[in-house]
Amino acid sequence: MKLMQRCCFLILGLGLLVGVAAYGQAAAPAAPAAAAPPSAVELKDTTAKAPSTADLAKGDPAGTSTGTVSDVPVSDSKTGLTLGDVASQVGQNKIGINFTWTLVCGFLVMFMQAGFAMVEAGLCRVKNANHTYMMNFFVYGCGLLAYWMIGFAIQMGGAAGNSNLGGLQPLNTEHPISLFGKTWGIFGQNGMFLAGHTYDVGVMVIFLFQMVFMDTALTIVTGACAERWKFLTFSVSSVLMGAFTYPIFANWAWGAGWLSQLGSNLGLGHGYCDFAGSGVVHSVGGLTALAVALIVGPRIGKFNRDGSSNPIIGHDISAVLIGCFILAFGWFGFNPGSTLGASANGNLRIGSVAVDTMLAGCTGTFGALLYMWALKGKPDTSMSGNGLLAGLVAITAPSGFVSPINSCIIGLIAGVVVCWSVSFIENVLKVDDPVGAISVHGACGLWGVLSVGLFADGTSNYGGGWNGVNGSVTGLFYGDASQLVAQLVGISTLLGFVFTFSFVLNLGLEFFVGHRVSAETEMAGLDIPEMGQLGYPEFVFHPEPEVMTHAHAMAVA
Amino acid sequence: MAATTGQGRGFTTFLIGLLITCVGIAYYSTGMGKPLLALGLVIFAVSLFGFLKIKPLEGKTPMKPGAGAMKLIGAFLAALGWVITLYGMHVVDGTTGRLILALVGIAVSLTGMLYVLPAAFNKNAIWKA
Repeated sequence: MKLMQRCCFLILGLGLLVGVAAYGQAAAPAAPAAAAPPSAVELKDTTAKAPSTADLAKGDPAGTSTGTVSDVPVSDSKTGLTLGDVASQVGQNKIGINFTWTLVCGFLVMFMQAGFAMVEAGLCRVKNANHTYMMNFFVYGCGLLAYWMIGFAIQMGGAAGNSNLGGLQPLNTEHPISLFGKTWGIFGQNGMFLAGHTYDVGVMVIFLFQMVFMDTALTIVTGACAERWKFLTFSVSSVLMGAFTYPIFANWAWGAGWLSQLGSNLGLGHGYCDFAGSGVVHSVGGLTALAVALIVGPRIGKFNRDGSSNPIIGHDISAVLIGCFILAFGWFGFNPGSTLGASANGNLRIGSVAVDTMLAGCTGTFGALLYMWALKGKPDTSMSGNGLLAGLVAITAPSGFVSPINSCIIGLIAGVVVCWSVSFIENVLKVDDPVGAISVHGACGLWGVLSVGLFADGTSNYGGGWNGVNGSVTGLFYGDASQLVAQLVGISTLLGFVFTFSFVLNLGLEFFVGHRVSAETEMAGLDIPEMGQLGYPEFVFHPEPEVMTHAHAMAVA
Repeated sequence: MAATTGQGRGFTTFLIGLLITCVGIAYYSTGMGKPLLALGLVIFAVSLFGFLKIKPLEGKTPMKPGAGAMKLIGAFLAALGWVITLYGMHVVDGTTGRLILALVGIAVSLTGMLYVLPAAFNKNAIWKA
């Protein structure tokens, strides 16, 4: 018996020994082997195998000989190609891809100005077409000039550290304040006139991209105040908005400012997260539009004595819908471009961002169209267009952090929100917004900011973290309530700071310049008095409806 | 009046003032920075008073003065909501408490924006005449 026990222990011991040995043998290959660097000989061999000039002269229809090792620049012709040369080329390629991506997306966003012009002018009367188009045209110049002079420095002057664009190290001075024992960024200081050290390739790319975003915010206001805004006051107001209003909030959100530090300083998720600007661009534009629309007042004839409103129909619905499509096209620069690169740092998520954008626009259209059709009886054309834009506005902030299903939900809700908001602003507030800009950009922009705090699913990982906080942005429905608080702080800042700042600034302009054209000018249409020529000189004008002429008599009495 | 040469000159002066002010800020630490900043601000102020001078030429606008004090109260409430939210982040540590105070702040801001200010502007609106 004892012998049997000893035999069993012996067999068990041998088995263990064999097992351990086998595990050791199996584990050995799994240990990280030191990667052998390619030797100079290997690089020389590769160089020798590259197609010769004579081979390339024969043409390369298959594309297999173009773009080889012989295209890698050699730093020292005596030593030939080195590992350092190859690594430098890899780095250049990464930055080159990201520069190209960001620039092309910026060009797309710039083209959105055409879409805005068509939507806004189409929703206005023919007698104001030239004036409305001209505001959309000139706001580009006003904003660009102001942004180049000072706006960009305020927004991005302390935003160094973006590895997608080579680090942006010249933008390294953010003005801080100490509050509640923490340091918070308030405004940037480098980059005025793009002079000095900011005359830099990476800075130029980020300037172009951020500038077209800023101009989008500015052009939102022109829609809400169309058909009665004095061109002079519009010009001054736009310059000031491009110089101060937009850049200040954009710094807080995107330029290393205090909203982006809510995560690192107070543990509120990843701080205020606004991937492409539902808040920074659209809410800033929409809330400024509300502030100016309050001051400038409703168009003559918009409201009756009992407070009921009259529809004032736009002159060109085809321009409106084509403009909406142009905007939807440009949005593919707006949202996917906000990765600021297509290579490294989790930027391959651009496909997801683009699809989210597309889907939210689609469900936004459905939300508005079905709401109007089911409850009001007609699939209202202009409201359907606004539904598309509402979905796109709402998905702008969460597009980098949410799944396709959630983007559909966000867009659908935005489509309904825009219908409610248009009705509320017109019938309850008695604010006249000819194109629905306050609702599309203001209300749906705020909804987009909020939706990040609800729907962010924690799967995005842009280089390991966002706003300097490790991990992925995660909303309330995926387990992080603190992210929702950060988003609410952003919303409160938009309402409490941006709106108030815009309101006070434009109230000052009301005192010095005056926002409103005269009643005579408004009745005649702004094209001739303000711009000197009609938008459509060969059109025959129909007389205004009686309600308009009666209202005019009251207005000038 | 609509657009005139006076407006065009005024806007040009405004832009020149802003440009020189910005140059002054950009080169504030150099010898020329401070004088340029002062010059720019003077030109800026001149442009504003130029606007004020030509403003009456616009003619009768379809607007009546609203309740000035209510406008200020509305703007104050909008800003107060923001202050409540910010201060709430400091005085409360928990997520729930901060969430509630942020919502309170937003509600106060919205009251100023959507209740007080429209009421102020609509009090003497032309369509009520």
